Amino acid sequence: MALGDSRTKTEELIHLRWTFKQRSARVNTGKAQVAATQCHAGNHPAEEAGYFEVPGAHLYTVLHGVANPTARVLLVGSFASERHLSYIPWVRWARYLAARSVECLRFDYRGIGESTGVFEEMRFENWLEDVALLAQWLKERSPEAPVILHGLELGALLAGKVFETGVGDGLLLWAAPRTANHVLRATLLRRVALDNAFKYGGDRKSSEDYIKQLESGDFLEVGGYQWSSQLWQDSFQVELPANLGDEASAFPVHERPVRTVKEEKLGAPLIKGSSVGYEAINRDFSGLFDDNFAWIVQSQAPSQGEPH
Amino acid sequence: MKSAAGAREVIAVLTGGNRLWGTYHRPPGDRPGLPRGLEEKNRIGVLFLNPGFQPRAAQGDSSVYWAESLAECGYPSFRFDLPGLGDSEGDVPEPMLDFINAGGYATVVSAMIHELVQQFSLAGVVVAGLCAGAVTALYTGGVSKECRGVILMDPYFYQTKDQRPRIRVALTEWSSRSRLGAVVSNVYDRLRYLGLLLRGNRLPGNANRPLLRCWKQLAPTGMPILLLKAPAYKAEGIKPRVGEFDYLSYLQASAGRGNRVVVKFIEGTNHSFADALGKAAVREHTQQWLHSCFPSVERTQAVAVNGWR
Repeated sequence: MALGDSRTKTEELIHLRWTFKQRSARVNTGKAQVAATQCHAGNHPAEEAGYFEVPGAHLYTVLHGVANPTARVLLVGSFASERHLSYIPWVRWARYLAARSVECLRFDYRGIGESTGVFEEMRFENWLEDVALLAQWLKERSPEAPVILHGLELGALLAGKVFETGVGDGLLLWAAPRTANHVLRATLLRRVALDNAFKYGGDRKSSEDYIKQLESGDFLEVGGYQWSSQLWQDSFQVELPANLGDEASAFPVHERPVRTVKEEKLGAPLIKGSSVGYEAINRDFSGLFDDNFAWIVQSQAPSQGEPH
Repeated sequence: MKSAAGAREVIAVLTGGNRLWGTYHRPPGDRPGLPRGLEEKNRIGVLFLNPGFQPRAAQGDSSVYWAESLAECGYPSFRFDLPGLGDSEGDVPEPMLDFINAGGYATVVSAMIHELVQQFSLAGVVVAGLCAGAVTALYTGGVSKECRGVILMDPYFYQTKDQRPRIRVALTEWSSRSRLGAVVSNVYDRLRYLGLLLRGNRLPGNANRPLLRCWKQLAPTGMPILLLKAPAYKAEGIKPRVGEFDYLSYLQASAGRGNRVVVKFIEGTNHSFADALGKAAVREHTQQWLHSCFPSVERTQAVAVNGWR
């Protein structure tokens, strides 16, 4: 499971073969050309995508590498069907941090996106394990630097639960729900709304109809993913740990800095998939990014000892 | 970090100064580390593009599913993030849909195809796209010498805007929920139908004429084109909603005698084809279409062993 040093010479060669030289500086006019130069090229040379082995699957990971990081952040992203909606700002946030000497690791949960595994066989425990294993890997990287767990939406719950076990030097929560069921229910309601569009009266189905299907043990397809009855049942039990809901009460209990950013401070397109459209892709997040970067730096400063 | 996991491999190309990340789905027998594709002369790759602004896995990871199943049938399959999307570098053009509707990504995709052909010893590449991705796929078919076919999933042939007027969004939501709204919506449809008749069923003002020109140039050349259509709201079967211009009939009429256009309507799915029914139907139609357009001994054997999965 040695992410970073398990690449064989053959794999290196393959990687090198996949380096292409730019012919033109313009995005839409350039013709790609093979160039057996170095594999780290482009505007973000230290970004490295690959696979990290976990029990029964491989997680797709993207490391936004930094030579001498002031901190490392594990980005724990949103739930399956929300993933593609928050992807662009999530990547930008990682690049923003990497450009400021904060190393970041993004990943896809088991059974989702680029990772291998079968979604319908997954439980929350699997995804918690993903977070814990990657946090451990980040912690073991050299040179040593504090590791912050940073979760978005469902990822905030998972990051919080792993943090509760003593993992991580800080915790940053964005739009943490009270339970995982809140996330699933919001996603389900969007499917119900789509299904009911241009249907009237008795032709419309209520969300309770769908929930009954799940509770009866059947699978339910939502946003292209097959939800199992087990996933739905378990979602009620996956709660944000006590005291992590607000920063002031979190510090005395966990003795490590915690920050929570409420949903209304984030807005689309980082959350609330339904309202995301093309117009929101290039939204300016500099205020949010600046603010949270400042917290990361302050919280891990050597003199820190009080909650921020 | 491993660059491969099972039959998947992370790859990257550098084009226009941006590193573009993608995933290669290896067909059986194509092991990592070995020179690729030397064993078969008629190797056709399949390249999946981003559906709109979504990352290369697409909604419900449907592109992963399709690429994986095509690779199992012997077609080296690729999924790439275009500049500014997914993991790839670059800025998202703004307004994005204007850029796509004008074929802005086509030259990048064409350059990408050239490299895939070189690196993987391919005879050519079939480009597949959904929605805005389909628009780019069609434009690419017109500019790439190595593009051997195009798969268009629920394409659109009119100009779209990144931002719809709020009042229009609100009206659509209202009419989709309330009975009174439904009545108003039906009246609106009839008025549009009347307008269509008065115009003599000519192309609407917001038709994407450059894209239609591209179609008219490409289809008569005999390039294989598979067009997959999903049901639309308030539409009956493959026909458009009352009052809307019938682009599909227009396309078929303007495809020319020598065209190899295949149109399939997939009942019971939605625009993303990401539900179980849509995923399976796209996979099945695509496999059969590829097999009939690009037959090879190796792939026939692969299908004989694996079946149409």
